[in-house]
Parts: sequence; structure tokens; C-alpha cells
Amino acid sequence: MLQTSNYSLVLLVQFLLLVYDLFVNSFSELLRSAPVVQLVLFIIQDIAILFNVIIILLMFFNTFVFQVGLVSLLLHRFKGTIIVSVLYLGLSISFHVWVMNLRWLNSNSFVWTDGLQALFVFQRLAAVLYYYFYKRTAECLGDTRLYEDSAWLRSAFSRIRQ
Amino acid sequence: MEPGAEQPRRLPRALPPMPSQDHPGDEVPLSKPKKKKSKASNGIEDMVSPVERRHSESREPLTPEPQDAPQHRRRKKKKAQQTPDSETSFMQRSTADMPLQEDLQNGTSDKLPSEDDVPRKPKKKGKKTRPADLQYANELGVEEDDIVTDVQQPNPPLALFAAPLGSSQPVGKVFVERNRRFQAADRSELSKVPEKVDDFMEVRPLWTTRDVALNVHRGFRMMGLFCHGILAGFAVWNIIVVYVLAGSQLGTLANLLVQYKTLAYPAQCLLYLLLAISTVSAFDRVNLAKASVALRGFMTLDPTALASFLYFAALVLSLSQQMTSDRINLYGTQGVNGSTLWLPGLEQQVLQPWIVVNLVVALLVGLAWVFLSSRPELDYTEGSMFALDAEDNPSAEDKAEIQA
Repeated sequence: MLQTSNYSLVLLVQFLLLVYDLFVNSFSELLRSAPVVQLVLFIIQDIAILFNVIIILLMFFNTFVFQVGLVSLLLHRFKGTIIVSVLYLGLSISFHVWVMNLRWLNSNSFVWTDGLQALFVFQRLAAVLYYYFYKRTAECLGDTRLYEDSAWLRSAFSRIRQ
Repeated sequence: MEPGAEQPRRLPRALPPMPSQDHPGDEVPLSKPKKKKSKASNGIEDMVSPVERRHSESREPLTPEPQDAPQHRRRKKKKAQQTPDSETSFMQRSTADMPLQEDLQNGTSDKLPSEDDVPRKPKKKGKKTRPADLQYANELGVEEDDIVTDVQQPNPPLALFAAPLGSSQPVGKVFVERNRRFQAADRSELSKVPEKVDDFMEVRPLWTTRDVALNVHRGFRMMGLFCHGILAGFAVWNIIVVYVLAGSQLGTLANLLVQYKTLAYPAQCLLYLLLAISTVSAFDRVNLAKASVALRGFMTLDPTALASFLYFAALVLSLSQQMTSDRINLYGTQGVNGSTLWLPGLEQQVLQPWIVVNLVVALLVGLAWVFLSSRPELDYTEGSMFALDAEDNPSAEDKAEIQA
């Protein structure tokens, strides 16, 4: 059974990582006085996304539903989160590599091209979807029924066995 | 115990070597041949005198099995003593042993080795606790290994001193270990004790994880409500400033560039921050993850669904102006290879779409805020966040989608 304090702590860590991600997405363009600063911010952002994905997977593994073998239930319910998270991680790394490659020698220059602009839009849109789906999943994983035996789980188990 | 009931158990002691002679090399466990022999020797059991029985008793320690048996029984006895039933059966046996003591006084009690008393106890316990096991095994939490079930094969060496086979009646008291001491307790109350212990041990937290999740959701919704208003106000302020600086009919665009260039990028970043929070909040309200619910909201022109659409459109439009905002931010600086970013006469061409897009963003954001603030309590996610039954039935969901 998931303890409330543990869940609160995990939720806090997840939200802190999300807030950092939102902060970097919003203000990284302002913090480009030195390319190293932006590079560090981007690296930490990508690691934060990766950490968030790992944390949500660990929370999946911790559920009783997962431990009894009903992995498909969790995957079916939270597949949107997993897909969006992986997509966002890929878009973020691509955008960061491209931008840092262009701005490494002159950080305060105009580097925008149509391709970079398109990637920027997709990365920021995916970020918003990632925030929404991730926050929703983190909250849904607080459901106590996911961590204990219940009539719902038994019915789901029998339904899948059929 | 009647003497007739004892006789089938006494005889195998008198004929220990028989199984090995009949079945040399047979790997059947020792107890089985002995049982057969006891049945086969039923006819001669009356002919064996008590003295001979005592003889056989004295010979038994020479055989390997009886040497191991007392140790094994002692182990069993230790296990059995851990159960409350053993205590009651022991008390009960003290009264039931009376015929046995009389029997022993007839000539066997003085020569009895003390070791024989030790193995005898578990056997009696096994017999007497059996009716009680079936009733109370579950409530006492006794492991299955501790319950002796093979009563059909009494141990022949101990048959002489076996207790009478009277059906034992469970006494009203059992001894339960509490606070490292065994205390007497009524059986009727025993079933209530685990519940009390459970209630005591499982201290229900004031907040469950579900409550935490719900409170976080409500907190974010409240914060989102503020963000909607701040974003609408900021967008309107931003477009007013732009139009004021651009002058009438956008006649003073150069003034706009000079005055606004320091504000352009911070405003763009702040706009993205507020738009992201507002969009997530609007998605939360319309429950976008549930496609059927979100689609129904859009079809019925639900305020939350409309606000979500407006915020998403404003976000796309705002992001599409990132390049222009950076160009405004870099006004007056040299571009790559020394070329200037703002060629003379290009201001109108670049800035007019940017101003129009900003105006549209402000309108969209303001309209979305009106929709959401008209019904600030509307939230489709909170009610269905923990609705596992409906969500986790893919077949039912697919059917509903097909019907739709």
C-alpha cells in the first residue's frame, strides 16, 4: 500500500521537475548571455524529463495492478502519457542540439530558420501536452485502488482472462 | 480407553523385524509395513502377555527408528506447545489420563522410562486437538504444518501408553500470547481480538493518497483560474502598449521598435508561461485525455471545451511569432556576417502580421477567460479522475465509440 507521505513526496518531486521544465521552456531564451548557461539549463531539462519518465514508470511498477500482471490495463490507461513524454523528450533533445549548435559561437545572434521555428513550435506544444498528461497521470496514480486488491481488480482480471 | 482399542497398536512392537523379512529392499516408508503387520497380527495379540510387551518395549531403543522418533516427537511437541490448543488439551488430558494411570499401576508404571512420557504427549495432543483444529484453526492463525492430520497411523511404540480415544470437548478458555505472556482468554472473545488488533495497528491516515491527488488537482485549478485572468489582462495590456507605440495607422513603427525591443522577448516568454499554465488548466477542466468526453464538450459548445480550443489556438499563434519577437529583440544589432536584421522599409512588412497575431491572441485569451470565469467551478476531470471501471474497459469504450 502506498503511503501518503511517500506519494506526497514523489508528487512534489515530479511537480518540481515539471516546474523547472516550464521555467526553462519559458525563460531559456532570456538566459542566453553565455552559451554555457543555456547548455547547462538544457542538459538539466532533458535529464529532468528523463527522470520524470523513470519516476512514472517506477510508480507503475509499484502498483498492485502491475504486480498481479495486468500491465495492459496500465498501458491502456496511461499510454497517452508515455507516448507524449517520449515524444517530448525526443523533440527537446533535437531542439536543444540544434539551437546550441547554432548559438555556441555567438549566443546573441539571430539564428532562426523556418525549420528551427517549426521545431520550436512543435517542441513547445508537446511540452504543454506533456505537462497536462503527466500531471493527470501523477494524480491518477494516487488512486488507492491501484495499490490493493479490490472487486474492480478482480473483475478486470477475470475479464482479461476471458 | 478400552483395552480392546489399544491392542492393535501394541502388537507391532512385538514384531519389529517382520517387514524387512517380507519385503527385502522395499523402499516403502516404515509406518506402512507396520500397519500391515498390526492388522495381520490381530489374531495373536491376546496371546502376548504384558511381560512380553514390556520386553519388546525394552528392546525398542536398539532399533534405529525409536531412537529418532522421540526427538522428532519432541520437536512436534515444541511446535504444538506454541498453539493455545495444546495448553487446553494438556489440561484436559490430566483428567483423561486417569485410566492410563490405573493401567500403569498394574505393574508397568514403576518400570516406565521417563523418555516414554515425552513422546506420548504429542500423540495425545494430536488426537485430542483434532476436533478443535477444524473449528479454530483459522481464527488462531495456526499454520498447516503444525496441525497433525495423520491420525490413521498411530505410532506403534507408543501405543501401550496411548490416551483413551474419548472425543475431546473444547474448553472455553485458550491461552493467547499477549505482551510476551500467555494469558487466558475465552474462545468466544478470541474472534474479536484480531479485529481490535487490526483496528489498532492500521491507523488510518487523515489524508489518503487519493485526497492528496484531489487537493493538488483543486489547487492547480485555483491557480489556473488566477492565471486565466492574469493572462487575459497581460495580453490586453500588451496589445494596447503595442498599438500606442505604433501610433495611428501604424505610422510610428520605428518608435515601436526602439521602445518595445527590450520588452518584446520578456513579454513573449511570459506569454508562453501563462499560456502553458492556462492551457493545461483548460485541458484539465474539459478532461482532454478522455476523447469521448472532450468531443462531447466540443459538440455541445461547452465553455470549458471552447476555452481549451481558444487557448490552444492562442498558444500556436503566439509560438509562431517567436522568430519575429527575437528579431525585434535584436533590433539595432548586427546580424550574421554583419548584415542588419532590419532593412529600411521592411518594418511594416514584418511588424504588421506580428501586431495582428498579437491582437488575435489577446482576443482569444480574453474570450477564453470570459468563458471560464462564467463557470469557474466547472471541471470534468475531478469527477472522473478515479473512475476506473468505465475507463479500463476497452471493449466497452470501443463499442461506445463505434456507436458514436
